[in-house]
Amino acid sequence: MLTRLIVCLDMRDGRVVKGVQFEGLRDVGDPVELAARYEIEGADEVVFLDISASVEGRATLLGTVRRAADVLFVPLTVGGGVRSVDDVAQVLRAGADKVSINTAAIARPALITECAERFGSQCVVASIDARKAGDRWRVWTHGGSVRTELDAIEWARECVARGAGEILLTSIDRDGARRGYDLALTRAVVDHVSVPVIASGGAGSAEHVRDAVLEGGADAVLVAGILHDGLTTVRELKDVLVRAHIPVRAVA
Amino acid sequence: MRVTILDYGAGNLHSLAKALDDGTSAVRVDADPIGALNTDVLVLPGVGAFGHAASRLAPARAAIRDAIQEGLPCVGICLGMQLLFSESDEGDGAGLDVIDGRVTRLRARRVPHIGWAMIDESSDSAFTRAPLDVAYYANGFACRPARPDVVRAWSVHENDRFPAMVRAGSAVGVQFHPEKSSRAGVAFLRALVRDAGA
Repeated sequence: MLTRLIVCLDMRDGRVVKGVQFEGLRDVGDPVELAARYEIEGADEVVFLDISASVEGRATLLGTVRRAADVLFVPLTVGGGVRSVDDVAQVLRAGADKVSINTAAIARPALITECAERFGSQCVVASIDARKAGDRWRVWTHGGSVRTELDAIEWARECVARGAGEILLTSIDRDGARRGYDLALTRAVVDHVSVPVIASGGAGSAEHVRDAVLEGGADAVLVAGILHDGLTTVRELKDVLVRAHIPVRAVA
Repeated sequence: MRVTILDYGAGNLHSLAKALDDGTSAVRVDADPIGALNTDVLVLPGVGAFGHAASRLAPARAAIRDAIQEGLPCVGICLGMQLLFSESDEGDGAGLDVIDGRVTRLRARRVPHIGWAMIDESSDSAFTRAPLDVAYYANGFACRPARPDVVRAWSVHENDRFPAMVRAGSAVGVQFHPEKSSRAGVAFLRALVRDAGA
């Protein structure tokens, strides 16, 4: 299996935005244009994470997914605001390959089971936002603003037991801080689940991405800001992985 | 050439239709399995769960099977490939049984197998026409054909070696998603379908 480099585009009202620790958003461009550019640069997958709160934002997202599906030929995962099996069906119909479910699954864990049975585990991504609490990690929801009583490792295990095909694991402590991924969190979840784990939150350099794989044991790494800001490129990131003897899909 | 994607009611067909549209074929999506047989190439898409898809196909199962066995070119992708086989451990219901064998869970620690993997030992002419040595997979299960000579390419997940491509008569199946395997994948898919309908 080749280690995947996944590019995440945080979207609001049809535009890509980037924030630090879920706050302070800046506009960074058109999601479809950016996604297509990242595919050409060698991104293995693209994630659209919609943080629109409004009904209008939701409709815009589906239109954006449709436009993306016309031009994008690597897997597209869509997350944010997915609350029901019907929401998942709509997003998949629009052209997404996978759907990531976060807050709604915590409110009603059976949603994961229902989606896995209907659409297959391979398109259900359980998205977990975790923040350090003592020597464990606690799950937060609503974009990292609401604390739950769930332990991140236990919740990851339950998501997998219910049929999630992948775990998208975001460290809220590290998100946007560019100090590196939370390697201990990543390793703890990787060691306790049987599905691929995508490390997210904290990439500041290619070495951070490498460490998420070598030390964290991640199957895939999610990057956003360092690419959008032009600090590095997909090619540079993959070059560093290759030099560390991590197999990746070659950039054409 | 008419290319028809059979819609069994789950998942993303939009990008598959787009990938198949090479500018010369008429690509359509049909939710009616009998109506879908009125085509030059039938495509069984690769999203959903086996049980759900098998139950949607059940009323038309014999007709689809007969059409393929009488020579209708059929391209199955991922789950669509698995539906060409007799049955699956993933769910109840019968496959189309145009290729003898079972679909069983991957024997690996991490399942499903999601991501890019190498395609090895490819012997099909489609790979000569449109080279593809790495592709995107999203499968928890794999086909185990009764006759190994139907296998035209292989992949490996952890220690489980499984067929990446099978061909038997007018039916061809790929376990990977060519429509999600970037430009090389799209070129491969178009070559596969073009040859099937030729």
